[in-house]
Amino acid sequence: MSNADQYAVMQQRPEISGLARSVFADADKSQISGVNPVRLNEIQCGHIVIRGLENDIKDVVQSQLELPLPTEPLSCYQNDAACIRWISPDEWLVTVAENETHSTEVKLRLAVEGYAAIVNVSGGQTLLQLAGEHAEEVLMKSTSYDVHESNLKVGKVVTTTFAHTQVVLRRLDTNSFELVVRRSFADYVFAWIRDAAAEFGVDTY
Amino acid sequence: MTEANRIPGGNDIDYSCPITFTFNGKQLTGYQGDTIASALLANDIKIVGRSFKYGRPRGIVSAGEEEPNGILQLADSDATAVPNVRATQQEIYEGLVCRTTNGWPSVDFDVMSLVGDLAAKMMPPGFYYKTLMFPQFLWPWYEKVIRAGAGLGVAPSVPDVDTYDKLNRHCDLLIVGAGPAGLAAAAQASRSNARVLLVDESPNPGGSLRLSRDLIDGQSAAAWIEKTMRELSGKANVEILLRTTATGYHDHNFVTLHERRSDHLPSRQKGASSRQRMHRVRAGAVLLATGAQERPLVFANNDVPGCMQANAVSAYIRQYGVRPGKQLVLMTTNNSAYQTAFDWVDTEGGTAVVVDTRAAPDPVLVARAKAAGIRVMVSSAVIETKGLRQVKSAVISGFNSQTQTLMGRLVHIKADVIASSGGWSPVVHLSSHTGTRPEWREDISAFVPGVSKQNMWTAGAVTGDFSLASALGQGIDAATSALTQYDLPRLAVPEVQEAIPLEMEPCFHIPHTRATSRAPMQFVDYQLDVTAASIELATREGFESVEHVKRYTALGFGTDQGKISNVNGVAIAAKALGRSIAETGTTMFRPNYTPVSFGAMAGRDVGKLFEPKRYTAMQSWHEQNGALFEDVGQWKRPWYFPQGSETMRAAVDRECLAVRNGVGILDASTLGKIDIQGADAREFLNRIYTNAWLKLGVGKCRYGLMCGEDGMVMDDGVTACLADNHFVMTTTTGGAARVLEWLELWHQTEWPELNVYFNTVTDHWATATISGPDARALLSELTDTDLDSDNFPFMAWREGVVADIPGRIFRISFTGELSYEINVNANYGLALWERLIEAGKKYNLTPYGTETMHVLRAEKGFIIVGQDTDGAVTPEDLGMEWAIARRKKFSFVGKRGMAREDCQRAQRKQLVGLSPIDTNVILPEGSQIVFERPTQLPANMVGHVTSSYFSPTLNKSFALALVRGGLDRQGETVQVSIGPDEWMAAEICSTVFYDPAGDRQNV
Repeated sequence: MSNADQYAVMQQRPEISGLARSVFADADKSQISGVNPVRLNEIQCGHIVIRGLENDIKDVVQSQLELPLPTEPLSCYQNDAACIRWISPDEWLVTVAENETHSTEVKLRLAVEGYAAIVNVSGGQTLLQLAGEHAEEVLMKSTSYDVHESNLKVGKVVTTTFAHTQVVLRRLDTNSFELVVRRSFADYVFAWIRDAAAEFGVDTY
Repeated sequence: MTEANRIPGGNDIDYSCPITFTFNGKQLTGYQGDTIASALLANDIKIVGRSFKYGRPRGIVSAGEEEPNGILQLADSDATAVPNVRATQQEIYEGLVCRTTNGWPSVDFDVMSLVGDLAAKMMPPGFYYKTLMFPQFLWPWYEKVIRAGAGLGVAPSVPDVDTYDKLNRHCDLLIVGAGPAGLAAAAQASRSNARVLLVDESPNPGGSLRLSRDLIDGQSAAAWIEKTMRELSGKANVEILLRTTATGYHDHNFVTLHERRSDHLPSRQKGASSRQRMHRVRAGAVLLATGAQERPLVFANNDVPGCMQANAVSAYIRQYGVRPGKQLVLMTTNNSAYQTAFDWVDTEGGTAVVVDTRAAPDPVLVARAKAAGIRVMVSSAVIETKGLRQVKSAVISGFNSQTQTLMGRLVHIKADVIASSGGWSPVVHLSSHTGTRPEWREDISAFVPGVSKQNMWTAGAVTGDFSLASALGQGIDAATSALTQYDLPRLAVPEVQEAIPLEMEPCFHIPHTRATSRAPMQFVDYQLDVTAASIELATREGFESVEHVKRYTALGFGTDQGKISNVNGVAIAAKALGRSIAETGTTMFRPNYTPVSFGAMAGRDVGKLFEPKRYTAMQSWHEQNGALFEDVGQWKRPWYFPQGSETMRAAVDRECLAVRNGVGILDASTLGKIDIQGADAREFLNRIYTNAWLKLGVGKCRYGLMCGEDGMVMDDGVTACLADNHFVMTTTTGGAARVLEWLELWHQTEWPELNVYFNTVTDHWATATISGPDARALLSELTDTDLDSDNFPFMAWREGVVADIPGRIFRISFTGELSYEINVNANYGLALWERLIEAGKKYNLTPYGTETMHVLRAEKGFIIVGQDTDGAVTPEDLGMEWAIARRKKFSFVGKRGMAREDCQRAQRKQLVGLSPIDTNVILPEGSQIVFERPTQLPANMVGHVTSSYFSPTLNKSFALALVRGGLDRQGETVQVSIGPDEWMAAEICSTVFYDPAGDRQNV
């Protein structure tokens, strides 16, 4: 039996639109010219953290997100509607379309029978995409993690250091990466990436 | 060709590309491919510096990183200046400006040298320690003079205009050195799909092969280098970095590489890429193919400009097209140096005499030399150089290499270059960084790398095997073994015909007709002016360990780390001590192999990127509205919002009064917030906090106090019950990460059976706190939530929509006034804030910062953990007995700690209020407290002021303080030190200065 009523789940999205503001609203997004610039852009979406035991949530994720629960460390599964990333043995990060955040949280909450934490953290982090031939080199300037494709394969998700903060890093394909960035550090991360990529050029959009 | 010593045929020189540069203010020319050293030698400039201690003129000795003398200030401008650049490695470019780093008033005329030998006799090792002891008050002056007289380069005085960066690299095999062994290893490794990184500090690969006359597979060495490089550059798994020095070899095969990316380019071309880069390499295996450095011999006046390493002379002739003189005297203990004589006489008009210390060198080689017109003197040694500012002649004596004694008559031979070779020292430095002591090998008279704990391999001359065939074979073998998991078939070792096989006899220090202590100075370490006599003296004075000899004489302490002096120094010390070199041992080498600029170490962690600055969702509003910011951890928090030319005091007074009398607004988003879910969430809180949590109802909030196991307060904050199994905890801004770790620690290690999970939601929720008597009226304009005190009392929370934005409203107060903390998803934080500000206009809603928050909370006696506590304060010390629930069924963290005898004794320091007698004096925070004004100092302090402000509400100053036994001293007067011999009396009072009954927050 679900114990959903023992947890507070709330719609956090205003009914009227236009009130949300990107964490990068004030960031310097001017173009830095270069022959083969790095492309940098934000993907706004809903972020939900699930914490619990594999057995308590495996079926919930399968039935509600139509995705298997990634139990292989550093892996993820993805369909058109959602992406679920392994973060630690009892932690996963789900991203969905921004306007699906609440409904996703609700359906996960209702489906859980054991004890799991389901937390909407959409305000606290955002996704950055970093792409281009030199994207990997920008990451090499930023993290001591081995980002070579032989180690950070497409689809691999790692939580690692990034300059003086941390990100959740995923390789999307050979030349593009996704970074989960915490809101309060976003300004720093953005400025760091632009600085690291300056020698190649930067297109931000 | 205007350069006197320039000759054709330099392999590295582009004769079609002349370059103008400036040395000591003088315009000189050279060619693309020249180093500063080769260009100076081409221009017949002999003196490049003055020696450290004696001011003796010094010239270029080597052609590589081991150079002790050619240490220059590279200074096109102060903003691009680099001190202590090795002239032998720095390539010239158009417009380069450099100068010598020592010599006063100039390098050609140094005052120090006037006192010459006389001074030298008076400056034995330990001179400074022995002489400049008294009087003590002159020490600063001594230091100034010594530094001015000695120093090397000058630190730039303006900010660096160049950028430097760092790059992290990972590879399966890092090969250090692209000489024959390194190239062969790379060729072998490249056949796997292992990730291979090959680095060399030269602009060109090849190492010793660049001077070699040997044939590889019937081709010239140059052709083999080219072929191998062509193959390697086609491989995706091989990366090659040139002009890149492996400077440090650390634990876990972590190696730092210092790449000079644009130091060889004119400033204007430097552009967007960084000037230098630190590569931080994590390697599966490290293969050291670092080669060997030639050791010059120690003899009298061996530092006169014109005395060089034999191999360096060949490098200048063959690589750079520079023959640094006409008449060469070459002293050698081995075969390899003969090549230098051959190279020399191959050039037009060069004459050479070989002085061989051995009685019977290889007759074939000697015959070859004689056929080339070279005079060969066997059983001979150069015992002294004649000439002051440059070599004029060599004094040669018969020499018995078995007894190391002189024999026969002295012969003077005219010379302008005296080259010497005492054999080869494997470059063991990087291996030594890993903690392994180099091992002495008698057969080659050299130290070789010891066995390392790291996954380290060696190949080539660094192993002590100096033959080319071995280097190639070892390179292939080492790469195969280091990559054993790839099971690579071995490449065939190329066929090698060696021009001159190496044979040698040990010899380090050539005796003089006079005793070492009375002979002209025989230099061991050029850079720090260490002589053979000073090493012998050190041993006579009782320094027996080579480490002590090093420190007493400063042997090997220079920026060159004694690369060419170390073995000679050890050999001389060993002989003086009557021990073998193996017994004497060597000193260790530390990172970095060659100096690394601070810029490269800092990389991009400078300026704005030095440290992350954390911002809330409302940051842009704060900036636009003139906030000044305070650092709280990495967060930037508005400190206060001055209007016009308002002082801080005036702004804070205004903000305080606005909250007390109207309504103010604070950005409280930085407070740590932890979402806690699970059936045992409540039980967990009950164990981690000192107070009781089992009965807190849904919709309620409670203040919680958190202690360490020692019973000392570590954090506090309000936790709200969102639903039966769901709480949200707030922590101090600076404590958020620590508290989250603390919760995880206890859950994971002590109470894993509890069903509870923690997640940080600090960044997710933006928090706007409105506080003051008008807070309810303001909020009611923006929400339908029932704000009636009966339905929404103090210490409750409600879900509600504020300004069209759904959120959670917490009725808690850190000011003592009616307050609502409105939490919304941070994406809407700025919208919420702006709408509150807009609606608040008619209430004169006043933004306030942390300073006002501090004043208001202190008026109420609310502590700030870390300010009013210091890790040695229990809840009881704070008078917060009410927050300790000792009767909880399960224990709580800190319960036993605070029950310790010392925590329970009387007269602990306890938190009290202080009212200064002069109500206008704000006691400085941190001021020491005594009970009675002391008659003499030092006096025993009984406490200190922790928080102190002026209260505009009470119109008086007030403070919080920790005072010994303070809780029982209410009404007593203490003395507070507020300056040298200045005291302020203050009365101990309650910590609650304002609204002790709490009526104002509870309306």
